[in-house]
Amino acid sequence: MGELYTTPPESEKIYTLNLGPQHPSTHGVLRILLDLDGEYIVKADPVIGYGHRGHEKMGENRLYKQFLPNTSRMDYLSGLLFNHGFVLAVEKLVGIEVPERSKYIRVIASELNRISSHLLWFGTYLLDLGGFTPFLYAFDDREQILDILDSVTGSRLTYSYCRFGGVSRDIDANFIDMTRAFLKRMDARWADYDNLVSENIIFINRTRDVGIIDRELARQYAVTGPNLRACGVAFDVRRIEPYEVYDRFDFEVPTGSRGDALDRYYVRFKEMQQSCRIIEQALDHLPGGPFLAEKVPQKITPPKGEVYLAFESARGLAAYYLVSDGSPSPYRCHIRVPSFGNLNALIDVLPETLVADAISILGSIDVVIPEIDR
Amino acid sequence: MKIQEIERVIFEKFPGAPLVRDETGKMGALWSVVVPVSGIRDVAKTFETADFFLETVTALDFQDTLELVYHFNCYEPKSRVVVRMLCGHDQVAPSICDIFRGAGWLEREIHDFFGIRFSGNPDMRPLLLPEDADYHPLRKDFGKVSAYRKREEIYG
Repeated sequence: MGELYTTPPESEKIYTLNLGPQHPSTHGVLRILLDLDGEYIVKADPVIGYGHRGHEKMGENRLYKQFLPNTSRMDYLSGLLFNHGFVLAVEKLVGIEVPERSKYIRVIASELNRISSHLLWFGTYLLDLGGFTPFLYAFDDREQILDILDSVTGSRLTYSYCRFGGVSRDIDANFIDMTRAFLKRMDARWADYDNLVSENIIFINRTRDVGIIDRELARQYAVTGPNLRACGVAFDVRRIEPYEVYDRFDFEVPTGSRGDALDRYYVRFKEMQQSCRIIEQALDHLPGGPFLAEKVPQKITPPKGEVYLAFESARGLAAYYLVSDGSPSPYRCHIRVPSFGNLNALIDVLPETLVADAISILGSIDVVIPEIDR
Repeated sequence: MKIQEIERVIFEKFPGAPLVRDETGKMGALWSVVVPVSGIRDVAKTFETADFFLETVTALDFQDTLELVYHFNCYEPKSRVVVRMLCGHDQVAPSICDIFRGAGWLEREIHDFFGIRFSGNPDMRPLLLPEDADYHPLRKDFGKVSAYRKREEIYG
């Protein structure tokens, strides 16, 4: 009788499964049409665009300043990093000098946001794999970051903290104390996470040699960020073309070797520790002085020309491409988002894997769909 | 292949192609070159063999022409390069999705937003827009537009 359930008749051999767009493990509004042969995937066709809001068109019809709140609503998990990147691009286009203190503040806030993004990924990925406990630990830690950032930016998720020429509010002793306490707390936490997850045999079996993205595949699809570093390429925008003050900090670029889901986990895990190191150094060398440049015009009218600024978001290389025609709003505002290439690669990664592994791979890639849809 | 060598190869293929070096640092790339529409496949192949990846592709809509902007980058050392091509409003651009597999989606996105068709891309379904979309929102004749300019008004 058993074969009746395991071997379908020839005519029904390929079965199409509609994964998403509202399945909890598709992280947002991603829909993937999976052609299945039994439990094995034959073809994967991601369908995206459910969250398309037209940020690029909005950018063309708004003042530069008015576009600031939009920036944190693309990749909502690392909103501050996108906010940071946009002000850097406009500052470069107009030629605004930024005070030293605000550069350090931006780095501290950005790295905190990077850790919070990775922690959310950590929690939800383990939840996808069936482990509920790490989720609670990770969200507890993430809550500390949200409190710290809330105290200075006024929001918990869609931060619009950076301004052309600085930041909106100065950080105070309370912020520094909270951040230092958080770093101390995390120092003790890494060992807990290692014990709970990294050395867990069930976790390792579900991720090792699953969803391998090698260097060649990554290059073909322009995969960047932790997904690229997991296959051994130490490509980090903060290191290759340092922006802001990243060239002043001592930090490592963690890499993996096999490029499987386990390596992607390790790379992100170690990246959080490196972010902590950066924050610690930035706090130690925090200069005094103003937090916002004076004499930045209320209405910014850049000269004619273009600017392209790449920065390292939590998911990889993101970039703003702005073309100015000399008017107060950009002629073209293009955003290169890392998840676009990262998700695109799934077309070649998913075939010949099991459906259960597809969930593991999808989680390990760490895509944010509204970022792709823009 | 080093970046100087790529520059030489491109100049051999397209003598007199307008090349602009990034002196202010605003372009975020070493240089930018304008190639004819028919030449983009050759250029893409050159970059592919030189171990570059296609960072992003985007377009701009001008009164007189559409402009496609390709950003190529490599892992080490820092050497981003911009390749542009001018494509008429009714012209079909050659696809490079068989050279860089990631280009397929980027071309679909450009087709969504600007209505540029790519010959050789087997999958031209809308990517970010609805399946039945027959409009191209980033064209300057769609919706609210603050200015519609000629190309030389910006590049001077």
